[in-house]
Order: sequence, then C-alpha cells, then structure tokens
Amino acid sequence: MEIQLSWEDPTSGELFEPRLSAPIAFGREANQIPPTINDEQVSPIILASKQVSRFHALITANNGQLTIEDRSANGTLINGLRLTQSSQTLNSGDTIKLGAYEITVTIESMVNNVEATEVVIGEASATEFIVPSSTIVFNPETDILEAQAIIPQEISTPGRAFPPACFAAERVSIADINAAGLPIEESDYVGLGAGMGSFTWADTMRCFGVKAEQIVILGIEQKPYGRYQRLCQNSQIPAHERLRSGSDSCPDNIWGWPGYAWRESFKEFFRGQVSSSIKHLWQVFSEPVLADTYTPKSGDVFASVDREAARIGWEKMLRYGRFRAIRKTEDGRYVIAYSRTQGDRQDHRFLITRYIHMAPGYPAIKFLPDLQAYREKYRDFKSVVNAYEEHEHVYKQLITKGGSIIVRGRGIVASRIIQRVSEIRRQNSKVTVLHLMRSPKPEGNKFGVAQRKTENQWEFQPYNWPKGTWGGDMKKRLEEGSPVERQRLLTDWGGTTTADRSDWKQIVSKGLQEGWYAITFGKVARVEQDEQGRLVTYLESSNIKGESKLNADFIIDSTGLEAKPSESPFLNDLVTHYSLPLNPLGRLQVANDFELVEMRNDRARMYAAGVMTLGGPYAPVDTFLGLQYAAQCAADGLARARAPKASRLNGLGSFIQWIKWATNQTP
Amino acid sequence: MTPILFGRWQTRIFLLATIGLIVSLPLALGIIGPTPDGNFHPIFFWVVFWVGVLGLLWDILYNYLQQYLWDHDWPGAFQFFACIAEGIVLGLLLKFVGLPFIDRDVFDLPWFIVHYTAVSIIAYFLSWAVMRILFPRWRFRGGKWI
Repeated sequence: MEIQLSWEDPTSGELFEPRLSAPIAFGREANQIPPTINDEQVSPIILASKQVSRFHALITANNGQLTIEDRSANGTLINGLRLTQSSQTLNSGDTIKLGAYEITVTIESMVNNVEATEVVIGEASATEFIVPSSTIVFNPETDILEAQAIIPQEISTPGRAFPPACFAAERVSIADINAAGLPIEESDYVGLGAGMGSFTWADTMRCFGVKAEQIVILGIEQKPYGRYQRLCQNSQIPAHERLRSGSDSCPDNIWGWPGYAWRESFKEFFRGQVSSSIKHLWQVFSEPVLADTYTPKSGDVFASVDREAARIGWEKMLRYGRFRAIRKTEDGRYVIAYSRTQGDRQDHRFLITRYIHMAPGYPAIKFLPDLQAYREKYRDFKSVVNAYEEHEHVYKQLITKGGSIIVRGRGIVASRIIQRVSEIRRQNSKVTVLHLMRSPKPEGNKFGVAQRKTENQWEFQPYNWPKGTWGGDMKKRLEEGSPVERQRLLTDWGGTTTADRSDWKQIVSKGLQEGWYAITFGKVARVEQDEQGRLVTYLESSNIKGESKLNADFIIDSTGLEAKPSESPFLNDLVTHYSLPLNPLGRLQVANDFELVEMRNDRARMYAAGVMTLGGPYAPVDTFLGLQYAAQCAADGLARARAPKASRLNGLGSFIQWIKWATNQTP
Repeated sequence: MTPILFGRWQTRIFLLATIGLIVSLPLALGIIGPTPDGNFHPIFFWVVFWVGVLGLLWDILYNYLQQYLWDHDWPGAFQFFACIAEGIVLGLLLKFVGLPFIDRDVFDLPWFIVHYTAVSIIAYFLSWAVMRILFPRWRFRGGKWI
C-alpha cells in the first residue's frame, strides 16, 4: 500500500510529499527508530522539533487498513483529537499533528514493495521530495514582481563574454581584469543590493566612522525601501496601514531609541491628538499582555528612512548596476562584475574592493504549485494571483460586480486581504471569502511551558518570530545551538502566524457569523477552468467535512514563500564557484557574526544579511531589527579586522553619534 | 524588552551604581530628607545597596516567570509592577525586620517611599533610553552591557 504524506516545512514553508510504504515511523532522532518492525523495513521520517519525541509515532498497515500508534510524551493529534500512548485506525485524508508538523495522509493505491525511504528534514536527501520550483521573479530591470520576467538578452559578441573568461579561475588576477578593457572602479567597501539590508549596514558603518566616499552601494533601487514598499502596497499595506514590526525596530536609527511609538506619540501630542498619543505610549508600555502590540505606519517608516538616507549620504554611495558575479582576486581582494546595460547600450563594469556586505533580498517569490500549474496551463494571470503581485483589479471587480475569492495561506497577508474584503463589503455586500487551509489548527505551537494562542483556526504571535529571538534567551539559544538544534528551535518558534490584532479577530468572528467568510480544509489536487471559464479548485477526496469542488472568481495565494539562493543566478554562481556550504534550510551558511567565512581572501572579508541567511545563528533575519543586528555584527567584525576608518562604536562615542542623529547632522 | 538573567543583573547594577547613587545624593548629603542638616547620611546609599542585592534575587524570579510568556519577553508593565512589589517588600523588611547597615530606629518610611520612588522611576525611564544609546549591543544581548 502506497501512502503519500504531505506537509509544509514550518520554517521555510517548503512542501514535502514523500510516497512511502508502511510501516512509517516518526521521530526526532534516527537512531531511536528501529530499522525493521515485524520483519518489514521501516520508512523513518525524522522531524526537527523539540515537541516531537525521539520515537513519536508509527503507522502500520494490516490487511489494507492503516493504524497509527502514538508512543510520544506529548501525544499526536489526529484530525484535532489527541491520541496518547494508544492506537487508532487512520484513513485517507486524515491530518496528523506531531509537534509543529501538520501532515496530511493520502492512501495512494495498493502497491507492493515500495522501497523504504528515509526523510530527514534539513538534510540534502530530503530535497528529492521538493516539488519543482514555481516562482515569480523580480524583473532585473524594473524590480517589479512578474510572472515571467524578461531577462535582458545581452548579445555577447565572441570574445566579449561577460563576466569574462578569467572569472573561471578560483582567484582572478588584476592583469586579466585590466585586459578585459572595461571600466574598473575601486572602493573600500561595497554593499551589494540597494535595499533595506544594505541601507542598515551602510547606516551602521557611517556611525562607526566610515565616510560615504568609502562605500559603494550597488543595486537597481532608487529608494532603499523601494521593493519593500511595492510588496507592502500589493499585499494591502498602504502608507497609512501598519507594518508587522516593533516600535524599536527602526532601520533609520541603530540604537532603537526613540522608537516609532515614541515618535508617533510625540507628533500626535503636539497636533492635539492627546488620547491617541497616550494610547500609543500605553501600547508600548503594556504590549502584548494588556494591549495590542504597537506597530508603526509604513509611511512613517519610509519617511524616517528618507531622512536618514539624506543624513548619511545614501545617494552619494548608490551606484546603479546589476551585479553578476563575485570573484576573489590574486591580490587579496574581491572583484565584482556588474552590468549597467539598458536597452541596446551595453555597459559592463568591474568594482574592486576588500570588504563586501551582501544583502540581495528575496530572489523570487514562490507560488503554490497547483496555482502555478493553472497559470501555466491557462495563461490566466488575472484570476489566480499572488498577494505580492499587483492585483488591484481583483478588488475593483469585487467592488463593482461582487464575487467570491479563495484565499490560500493563513499569515499576515491573508489577514490584510480579509480586512480589505470587509471594507469592500460596505460598498458591495455580495462579496464572499473562502479561506482554504490545508488542515485545522487544533492548538498552537508549544515551547517549554509556553504555548501560542489560536482562535478560529488562526494562530497568533505579535511578530513573525517570538520576541525572545530578537535579543533574549531564545536568540542566545539559537546562536549557541548546533545546526540540528537550530532547526528544531526554528520549527517550534516559526510557522505561519498572524498578528494578534483585536480588530482582525473581530472581522474574522463577524465574517464567520454573517457567513461571508468561511473556512474549508483540504489538500488541493488541481485548479482548472470549467466550460464557462470559471475557476474550479478540486480537493483530494478526504473524510474531512467539506466540498471536494470549490468555485470562486479569484484565488489569491498569500503564502508568500521565498525562494532559495539557487533561484538567483548570481548567488547560484557564487555558491557553486566557491563550493559555499549551505545551512540545513538550504540558505547561505554564515558564522555567528554573519561572515561568509569561506569567502575570506587574505585580509578581505565578506558578510551577508537578510533572508538568504535564514536557518543560521539568528531567527528574524529578514526583519528590520534582524537587518540591524546583522549590520552591527558585520560592522563589529570589520572593526576587528581593522578595516579603514571602521571603529567599534560604544559608550561615549555612541552617545555622540546618537546626538548627531537626533540633531540630524552627518555622522 | 527581552532580558536574560545576566543581562538583568548587569543592567540593574549599572543603573543603581549610576542613576541610583546620583538620585540619592541630595538625601545622603542632608540637603533634603528627614533631617536636612547638611550632614552625611549614608543610610540612603545602603538603601540603594539593598535594592540591588534583593533585586538580584528578584531577577531570578522574573527570569523564571518570563518562560511562561510565549514571546519570552518582559513587557514594560511587568517591569513597572515588579518595581512596586520590590519596594513594598523592601520597605516592610527595613521597617519590621531590619537589614544590616540600616538602623531600624533611624529608618524613616515616608522618606524611604520618596527616595525609592525617585530612584525607580528615573531608572525605569533611563533603562529604555540610556542603556541603548550608550551600549548599542545591549538590546541584542539580553541586557548585557559588558
């Protein structure tokens, strides 16, 4: 009997769908699982979670009937009901929950002798189950998220290949670079990527004493928050809406004081909005226990970044260019090949430096595979959309004609979409939302003595990671943990959650009550168009209540999966050329101070930040605070390495720099 | 904030040894207080000392309670109520039990309340701002500044 298990990795959202034969054993440690049971070879599934016991549960088959036996300390939830130290039958479509893992079981067919396969989450062998990537990428010219980006076709005349042939070497000689006959520039420091990661790093370096003239920031964005702002707007966070970010996570201020709550409160007080001013201070004082967590308005954050960008001379550092490849040089530096080609005018250049900070951001955003398959089959990019793409036409049609949407994913973006629909319903009440979830959420994640809150199948957490990972005991534990330990901790702390906002909870409860918002569970088999050209979502047959065929005018994928480094040609080249190690999540492996140790070249140093380092020493790597932390670690590392003019900021020096920030003077 | 135990201890010691002593000066020098005679009254420094010593024990309790919050953080409100609880316990101890270096007969409860409140409130506000500005790594290291 062939059984298909299907689950999303709680940290990366990656889909795992192994087909196995019983017996299947689940556990945390491979050596605790017997190789055979009743003379049958066991297929072990190793799950990285502290809530999973060493040998947690066992699925066996007997005369075509599956049985699951729980052997764990915490129990196993079968369709939301707890099974502890006992057995019960298992049917196709059942969902089993072990720790943070929610696994759907599908009985495929009666197939004998399927070879036992081992799945170890976080190890290379697990990757064979990953579905083919289905991504939408950022257009390299405009940086707009597109289904099929037109990659600029650069005509390479023979002998004029770029990057040049000398880039095949481990270390490139300066003479060879000169021989290419292209413009060469030198700079003490280079920041790769012109987004928020590079901005926070440049800001920190400037406060550490480095001059604007010493830094080149290479990228295609004009504003550091350009891409971020577009993603916010598409995912329904305009300037007046609030981000999911803390008061003290200020990318414009390396100290985190005064935070956005103080600034907003101060501004409101002098505008005479006293009650709102007090409310925001009360929020930061009592969050998250007595009040909703304070979060800043996106517009306020962008304005503060503009001010800081002007203060540190961002425009002076910024250089338009698409970086193509990095190589170590024979004289102990790095050379970066980049392109400024626009249209027919070919423009290739080199940048030589000793210190690189790399924060290229998300290479792409992934679509749910069934939705990508639909888009490819029907070439319909209007009715099935990703929440991060421009999809205003969906809401326009809902306002004018009414209609129904299916929302996939249960994170912060799904919350915002449902909020938007509830606003639209004031203009047109003929709008409904079907929230399609893979499995129910019977209980929140547990860690030690604490447990995450759930309500109406949503799981809540103020930010995308528990606050303790920012700088508390959780951060310390992760930093000190082994790769396997880190994987387990991230599983238990991560997962898809939304912000614990009382207005959102109210909208959901009200929607459920009034019937315009409904939740359905199921695993999608495929999405198709019927004869009338309407969207139909087919669910795999299951015994969970619900329809097996769902209709809707639109489907919005709000899962927001990010892609791996291999999806970016630039990172892929770097990783393969220098055989850089990847961490268990398939991202760049960095040291605790975010250095890419394998890229050392005599005195030259290279650091990375952002989502490409997820799975390493720090959890919230792609948040404002995480970028600031990575920037500080890198700046400290560069000061230790005696990089030019970089000196460790602390005490009085830090105070003086803060005064300069407060009075808006150049650092 | 997301303190760890060592961070709590280091921050407490730093704040009491700086702000705590500065705020106690007018009372210790006899400028204001129960007997504003211009003489030196070390009792106020000893009060700060005991706030610190007992505080190190309180911090162990707070650190334990913090594990029950999903975010493992310590909201400002908790810090505030903890200050009040600490003050009440210390006041009662000094008034009815007595602690070394503080003569129960000399101990003046109303002035203790004034002194303790002033130290706590100023240290409370400065813990949010001064620690971050002087020690940019403080917030990422659970309150450790060394």
